[in-house]
Amino acid sequence: MTGIYRIADINIAVTSVYEKVHRMCADYLVCGQTADFSVETSEADIENERERSAREDALEGIPVRIFPDSYLETLAVYRRIAERMPDYDTVLFHGSCVSVDGTGYLFTARSGTGKSTHARLWRELLGERAVMVNDDKPLIRVGESSAVIYGTPWNGKHHLGSNISVPLKAVCILKRGENNRIEPLGADEAYPEMLQQVYRPMDRDAMRKTLSLLDRLSGSVRFWRLFCNTDIEAAKIAYEAMKGN
Amino acid sequence: MMKLSKDFLIHISGGKTDLIPVGGAAFSGIMRGNQTLGTILELLKSETTEEEIVSAMKEKYNAPDGIIERDVKKALSELRGIGALDE
Repeated sequence: MTGIYRIADINIAVTSVYEKVHRMCADYLVCGQTADFSVETSEADIENERERSAREDALEGIPVRIFPDSYLETLAVYRRIAERMPDYDTVLFHGSCVSVDGTGYLFTARSGTGKSTHARLWRELLGERAVMVNDDKPLIRVGESSAVIYGTPWNGKHHLGSNISVPLKAVCILKRGENNRIEPLGADEAYPEMLQQVYRPMDRDAMRKTLSLLDRLSGSVRFWRLFCNTDIEAAKIAYEAMKGN
Repeated sequence: MMKLSKDFLIHISGGKTDLIPVGGAAFSGIMRGNQTLGTILELLKSETTEEEIVSAMKEKYNAPDGIIERDVKKALSELRGIGALDE
């Protein structure tokens, strides 16, 4: 089955084996428009995702998790999309993004550090001023001197996100800490972590483009490192620092 | 003979040299080094040998006897360890 979805201002035709990915992308469906590019998944893509997932579980030292084919296909579809996105100056990034008063703040960290928990604290602190852009895998379009972050259907296990885009102001690398402390981070210091959390294409040219987009992104957003616990105080000090003047 | 694997890219930014795997590589970290690593990686873009690398490094850098040999051996061992060398 096929559907055309407008994600990060690009029309993408998705052809899949299972229906699940189309249900997931329903908020992004467009009708009567042509696609900028197409992706198609097969049983081989699903098998590839199963093997990747098993490898990651083994690396983390946890029992191999079993996922339905339809779920694995959603990952395969996004992988195919992410491989094409550098052509549009856009990268997939692993992180949780909150918009406050229309400005995007992105939190990133290794899995399990507490990105989603921290984003929830921002929503508790700021109420309706804070809107979830995406809780897991947003897309970032990197311009010459600014960046825009987009919600996508791949928005984490709690499905927190919206079909919106906002200018990205800051990226915050989260670390667990007993006390809450935030510090500015040079782009050079942030780079290794950024590289860990950006989608790395298998295609060499797309990978080269991704690296050049990361370099460009370093010039258009500010980086922070936050040591935090799960008190609301963590959101207070992070927001005060990151919003600037 | 040895050569840098096609699954890795050299990226130079802010005076640092990074060796970065493309998405398909088994290694998922990055190797960050100084200019010396950068020189070794540049040499590994073409088929070469440990002896040729040592010789080229000696032309470029002054160091007491044995130091360049040791550093090259160490760098190659690390590159081998992350699967970045085709041999």
